[in-house]
Formats: sequence, structure tokens, C-alpha cells
Amino acid sequence: MRIAILGGIGLALLSVLFIRLWFLQVIGSEQYAERAEGNRIRTVVVEPERGLITDRNGEVLVANRPSRDLVARSGELVGQQRTDVVKRLAPVLGERPAVLRQRLEAGEGTPFQSVLLAEDVPPQLERYLAERQQSFPGVSLKDTFTREYPQKTAAAHILGYTGAITETNVDAYRDEGYQGNERVGVTGIESQYEQFLRGSPGRVEVEVDASGEPVGRGVVDSVPPRPGRNVELSIDLNTQAALEEALSTQLSLSGLAEGAAGVALDPRTGEVLAMASYPTFNPASFAENKPRDLRRVQRDPLDPLVNRAVAGQYPVGSTFKAITATAALESGVLERSEFIGSPSSLELYGQEFRNFGYQSHGNITLPLALEVSSDTFFYTLGTRFFERPDSKLQEWARNFGFGEPTGLDLPGEVGGVIPTPEWKRQTFAGDQFGEIDRIWKPGDTIQLTVGQGFLQATPLQLATAYAAVANGGRVVKPSIGRRVINASGRQERSILAGGSDEPLGASQQTLETVREGLVQASNGDLGTATSVFAQMPADRRVAGKTGTAEAPPGEDHSWFVGYAPAENPTIVVAVIIERGGTGASAAAPVVCKTISANLGTPLQQCGGGAQAN
Amino acid sequence: MTTLSPERTNSDFAALAKDAAARLDWLLLLIVAGITTMSVFVIRASTQEEIAGDPDFFFTRQILFVVIGVVAMLAVSLIDLNRLARWHWVLWGGLLASLAIVFVASKAVRGTSRWIDIGPFSLQPSEFGKVLLMIVLAGLVVESASRVGTVRFTLLAAGVAGLPAVVVFLQPDLGTAIVYAVILLTILFIAGTPWTHFAVIGAAVGATVTAVLWALPASGVEVLQPYQVDRLTAFVSTDPDPGSTGYQLEQSTTAIGSGGALGKGPSGASQTINDFLPEHQTDFIFAVTSEMFGFVGAGGVLVLFGLLLWRGLRITANASTRMDQLVASAIVAVIAFEVFVNIGMTVGLMPITGIPLPFMSYGGSHTVTMLAAVGILLGINARRTSRTR
Repeated sequence: MRIAILGGIGLALLSVLFIRLWFLQVIGSEQYAERAEGNRIRTVVVEPERGLITDRNGEVLVANRPSRDLVARSGELVGQQRTDVVKRLAPVLGERPAVLRQRLEAGEGTPFQSVLLAEDVPPQLERYLAERQQSFPGVSLKDTFTREYPQKTAAAHILGYTGAITETNVDAYRDEGYQGNERVGVTGIESQYEQFLRGSPGRVEVEVDASGEPVGRGVVDSVPPRPGRNVELSIDLNTQAALEEALSTQLSLSGLAEGAAGVALDPRTGEVLAMASYPTFNPASFAENKPRDLRRVQRDPLDPLVNRAVAGQYPVGSTFKAITATAALESGVLERSEFIGSPSSLELYGQEFRNFGYQSHGNITLPLALEVSSDTFFYTLGTRFFERPDSKLQEWARNFGFGEPTGLDLPGEVGGVIPTPEWKRQTFAGDQFGEIDRIWKPGDTIQLTVGQGFLQATPLQLATAYAAVANGGRVVKPSIGRRVINASGRQERSILAGGSDEPLGASQQTLETVREGLVQASNGDLGTATSVFAQMPADRRVAGKTGTAEAPPGEDHSWFVGYAPAENPTIVVAVIIERGGTGASAAAPVVCKTISANLGTPLQQCGGGAQAN
Repeated sequence: MTTLSPERTNSDFAALAKDAAARLDWLLLLIVAGITTMSVFVIRASTQEEIAGDPDFFFTRQILFVVIGVVAMLAVSLIDLNRLARWHWVLWGGLLASLAIVFVASKAVRGTSRWIDIGPFSLQPSEFGKVLLMIVLAGLVVESASRVGTVRFTLLAAGVAGLPAVVVFLQPDLGTAIVYAVILLTILFIAGTPWTHFAVIGAAVGATVTAVLWALPASGVEVLQPYQVDRLTAFVSTDPDPGSTGYQLEQSTTAIGSGGALGKGPSGASQTINDFLPEHQTDFIFAVTSEMFGFVGAGGVLVLFGLLLWRGLRITANASTRMDQLVASAIVAVIAFEVFVNIGMTVGLMPITGIPLPFMSYGGSHTVTMLAAVGILLGINARRTSRTR
């Protein structure tokens, strides 16, 4: 009897094992097979080489150099071993142990993926680690690429920089097939054309043993990485260099200047030929992750990282007179040959409005008003606009592209402000303002005619507006990316924004009149910028307008926007020198040098600017 | 049988051999041979890279152990247990002495001292002690037949088994100590000890486990080595540390499950070959077998153990003497217990106690002891057939 009980117990125990075995091997087998496969196969991601960025002539602006990152697998670095390795590694990398620990912990959710501990490890550190490999188990060096800038800081704001994916946007990147530990474009073209530049990662599957070492059979499967495609920009490096050189020279000459920006477009296509912003930064310090340089750039109160050409908003001063002139002619506020007085001062609506420098020109027509940059002439136009119920002046400003981003293929562009009665009512709706602040007054329209008051625009918008004057009435959509070129050098696709030009809607007669005024402003006997542009060859005359924008407190902003050759324009350049003084003195020489470089005329022909607005 | 002639002698010898062959439990022998064959095959396949430059190190040694074991099996089958019964106190003394030797002359392997070095091999007396303890306890029951069932006798038996168990526990070898307890319980059970005694023993065991694993550590008294607590509780934890027992258990279930129905074959068993699974040839040999040969192979091994159990119980039931029956039952119980605890560990049902899998795990002392135990069963079976004739 008791023997039977003994047998019963034995049978029951064996049955339990049998059932458990059935569950493990027959029912749940797949899950365990997967787990075993996960143990056996290690997938190593092979980073693709990022695409190059070149100018329109193929000059390389951004390249790559092979480099090494220090990585670790959180899953293999556990317990006491992790504590020891972190303790040893922290002083070598110059990081706090807590920071390394945090990075390792962040990688625990993805056991087969390595965590980035340090980027672009310098050779001496590489040697140090290689010699003491057994002191750093679970830590390894990974081949990768670091961005390199053959042209140094040139076009920094256009190119942007690359950086690690941050915790806040890692999910969005994972959705697009990123691992989460790649370097991606953060700003500029690097970010804009990330999809072309990134390439697709390769993969090597290696069979490993429990200690993570590859075993005899070695590589199981491998897919080579597909390198990123090159992006060709519309930038002309020669023009870009000239613009940057001229801007930085001008900044060092103008003692009070804070920042500066310039943009050059091809008025026929809207392609950006050059774009610069000061103060600038060195994109290499992001690529090489130099913390001290980065901190300095990020803390600078002048915001070197901001691309003022597209994200800086300023009153544009007298450069706006070309827009006012077009609006006046087109809306019947002014006749083409109409004479209007340009006294030294004018009393309008019980308020005195003065000409710049208290100058007086008698009765003049529009071209001369642009040539001498008469304010009182335009103030009179302002009263006429104000008397009308429709906001024709603002409407034309909008037609020229002010008030909203131009749609340039570069992140960070802002839209500026065209002040209208509704805008003013909404902007000053807060309780801290009185009803008197919300009413649109005659002075608001009068100020707008000369680009003052509430008007805010970017240098790019101004260049786009003048491109429309230059090209006979097409408001081009500016673009900076030109072509995507694959590794074998063939064009894969055009990314030119062309084809979406908006008609300005102004008659050729009107534009002809405005252009006449702009030619005179840079070449006429009384032209405000003649001192700068007079030496240009006859077939490459510049047409353009100075601007001296009041921006209290502080000095005026110096503006110049112009195009050349005046008869058949191929380049339009807008430049602002913040707190640079009058338009002719600071901005105009920069425009002259940029145009000269682009058209191939000697820079010495650009004269120094006189004190005119 | 009064005249002797060469012809008669020859036919006598033939008859004797025929008689011996008839009294042998061939099926039991076949089952043990089957499991052992599987064992040496798996040991060979899984330890090719264990010792650099000597791929067959474990294989050749295990073959040697099996040969020694078979000799021991045949020798032991000829010993009449009933004659040993009254020498139980002497045997007990010998058991204690051999266990004590390891404390004097031993080398510590992984923090434990269970082995005595003899030339290139080392002996583990506690393994042989299993069989010795069975004979001692069975002898005690047979010699004091009238007192069996009294509380005094149960306490006496517990003391006789308890002393060597404590010595083994101190080595420290918790697994073998538990096996000693199983031997005690089985012999008391088959001897006819009242159920009430088992109820009290059950309660005492429950209280002890609670005290050792929880109450005493909580009050600052550590009875078990830290690694023992870790191993005992690992099957309910999941520690990713490769050195931890939780990791070992996960690798073991992964190996078994990934074997699937038909297995991955000796060369495709990546969990084993690439060393994710520890202790291929000893504690986790069943996991290796399962990975290589799948449900067909592992289930087959279980079926063989089932058949072994059936043959053992049949021999127990038909034993001709009480002494034989008690020892046979203890052998069957120990095999069943070790199979369940070892395989239960590899499939994640039982804690890790370091109990080897009979006839499968690599190891001299254990292999020889288990084969000798089979020899005892064969002897019991042979005596039964000779006496019933």
C-alpha cells in the first residue's frame, strides 16, 4: 500500500515535469527560440556616411572625417562592474560619474543597442583605452563620422549643425526608423534636408558567445550602409565669402554695431547666392562637441546662433519707399509725372514731420524723390493713403511678400509685421493699453510710407521684394537647396523651389518708374548711395536704395538693398548693419562688394559711404 | 550431483549463467543503459570547448566513471543486504568518519569542501553516503522491528540520519543533506511509521524553512551561506546579472524552450555551445539535452525515468525481505526525488539546490553511486527470483 503511494507520488512528480516540458518546448517554443536567437545574434549597426553639402559649383562646404565614439552596452555592464567602470571612466572623459551612470541607465530599455558615452574620442584617449581594455569591460569604440568644415565658419547659419537626438524628440525620430543614438541635423540645411543627407544604416549580424565575443562562425548576415546623398546648394561660395568678408570688415569699422546680416538672391529664380549673419559661430564646435565653446556661444547675449537674415525682424527705413512708390502709382494715389513738394518739414494733422537732415528739394517727381530719399514727399503720399478707406499700402506690402515667411527652405524663418488698423487693435488689446493706443492714427500710415513705425521685416523679405522690382514683377519664392546628388555624382532630384512665383500685379510702367528712381539713388548726382556705387562699370550699374531705420533706443540700423546689373539684374542683395548708422555709410559698401564679387568687378570700385539716408 | 565430469561441469556452468541471466532485470538494465548512453553523448557534444586542447576531457572521464560504476554495480548486486543489517552501527560510524575526513583533507571548490583528492580524481564521500545511509536506516528498522512506529524509534532514526545530514550541510552541501532527509522519510514511511509522525515532521520542516530563510536572518542570525539563499530564492527573481542564479535559470528555460519539438541538434544548440547556459555537463545537463534534442529527446528521457521508476517500484513490491524492500524503496525515492528536483530546476519550477541528475550529470562519485544503487536493485531482484523458485 505504502509502496503504491510512493509510486503515485513519483508518477505525479514526473507528470508535472512532462507537462512543464510540453509547455516550454511545444507551446511556448517560439518565444524561447526568439530569446535564444537574441542571445546568439548581435546586430551591430554600421553608420552610413552623411551626405556632403556643396555650393552651386560643387565646392564642398561640409564633409566628413572618420572618427570614433565611445559606446557601451547597458545590458552587459551591470552591478559592481558598472560602478567600477564608471568610476574609472569618468575622470578620463572629464565627465561626472552621475552623468555616465544616467546615460547607461537610459540605455537599459534597449538591451541590444549601445549607449553613447563620448563622441569623437581623441587619438590619445583611444590609445589609453586600448591599452587598458580589461579595465573597461563592456565599453568599446565604434567607427563613425564627424562633420568637417573645409570652409571654416563660412555659411555657418545656412549649413547649421548636427547633434545628438535629445530625450524630448527621441520618440519622433524612432517613428522614422532612427535608433535614437544617431547624430542628426539640428538646424540649417543639416536639419532641412536630413532625409537626404542621413543615408540608411547598414547592419552586421555577428554570432557571439555569452561574454559577447564573436564566435567561430562570425558574421551571420550583413547589409552595407547606404551613404547619405549630397545636397547642392544654390550658394555661390565666392559671393558668400565676399559678403561675409565685407560684413565682418564693416562690423569692425562701425564701433557701435551689434549684429549684421546680408542675403543675396538671383532675382530671376529666387535662388539664394549668399546669406550671412553676424555674430557667427563655428559649426565644428558642435560636430566635435566642445562643451566650453558651445556654452560660450549659447550664453552670448547677441545670439550668434540666430540667423538674422531670416529670423531678424527690423524696421526697414527708406528702403521701403520702393514699395510705397509702387503702391501709390498702382492705387492711383500718385500720377507718374506728378510733382509733390519736398520741403524740409511738413505739418500734417497738427504734427511736424521733417526731412532727413532738414533738406529741402522743392517740387519733385517720384524718381527724384527716391534718388534723394525725400521723406516729406512720401509723407504726403501717406496722408493720401490714410484718407482712403482701404489699406492699399499694406495690401501692396503683402503683395511684395512682407508680413509672412517667404517659404525659404531653411528652418527658423519669421514673417515680420505689416501694421494695419486691425493688427493694431489686436496687438494693443491688453488692459495695460488705452483706447488711444489701439486707434490707427494718420502718423501710423505716414510712418509706414518710409518703413518706420510698426513695420517689421527680415533682410530676406526685403531682398525678395526688390527681386520683384528687378525681375519685372514676379515675387519669387527664395530657395537654397538646389539638387540632391547621389554617391555616384548623378542628380537624383531637383529640390529647387522654382515655379511657385507669385505675380506682383504691378504694371511694367510702374516698375519702370520705380527702377528709374533706384538707379538714380545709386548713380544720380543727388543719389544717396552714389558715393558708393558711382565707380561701377556702365554695364554693371547698381540700382538700389539706402535705408536708415530708427530703432530707439540706440543708433539707427543701416540698410541697403540693391540689384545689378541695373538693366538686366542677376543679383539682388539686402544688407543690414544693426546700429550701423546711415544706409550709405555702412550697409551700401557691403552690398557693393558682394555684387562686385559676384559680377567679377574689382572691389576697389566701391566707394566709402556718405552720411545720407 | 555426486559425480563430476567435465561435460557436467560445463553444462552446470552454462546452467548457472542461464540462471543468473534469468534472474537479472534486463529491462531495468536496458533503461539505465539508455539514459547513460544519452548522458555520455550529451556530455561529449556539450564540452568540446570547455578545456582548451582537450575536447574529450569530460567525455573520456565520464566513460571511465561509467565503467567503474558498472563494475561496482555488478559487485554490489552480489552482496546480500540482509547480512549487513546487524552491522548498521558499524556502517554508521564509517559513514560519519568518511564524511568527517573531508573537513581534514579537502580542497574547497567554489567555497565548498565536499571532495577528497585521490590522484587525479576527487571523491565525494557524501555521495556514497547516500547508499550507506539507506542500509544503516533499513538495518536499524529490521533490528528493532518491535519498536518501529513508536515516537522513540522515529526520533532515534531521525537522529541517526540527522547527524550525517548536518555534517553534509556544514560542508556546505544543502542538496545532499536534503537527499539524506528524503532517505529517512522514505524508510520511516515504508517501515510503517504512523501518519501523525509525518504530520509533526511536516510542521517542523515548514517551521525550519521559515526560520532559516526569513525569521533568523531578520533577527541577524545567518544559517545559510548567502549564495545558498540566493539560489533557493532565485527561481522567483529575475536578475540580469550574468553571474546571478536568476540569469542562469532564464538561460536554462530559454535553452529548453528554444529546443522546440525536435531540437536544434548538437551543433545548433547555441545556448549551450555559446556558453549562455552554465554548467553544461553537471547541473544543467537536462537543459542541454532539451536544447539539442527537443521535446522528443527530453520527453524520451523523462519516459525512461518513468520506466526506471516502474521497474524500481516493482522490485520494491516484490522484495523477498523487509531489509531488501526498505533499501529498494529508498533507492527509488532518491532517484525520483533527484530527477524531479534537478529537472524541476532546469525548467524553472524548483530552486537551485545543486542536486545532480541521476545517470545523466557528469561526476564520478555520483555516477558510481547511482550505478551501484542499480546494482543493489538488481541484487534484490535476483534474490527474490531465487527464493521464490
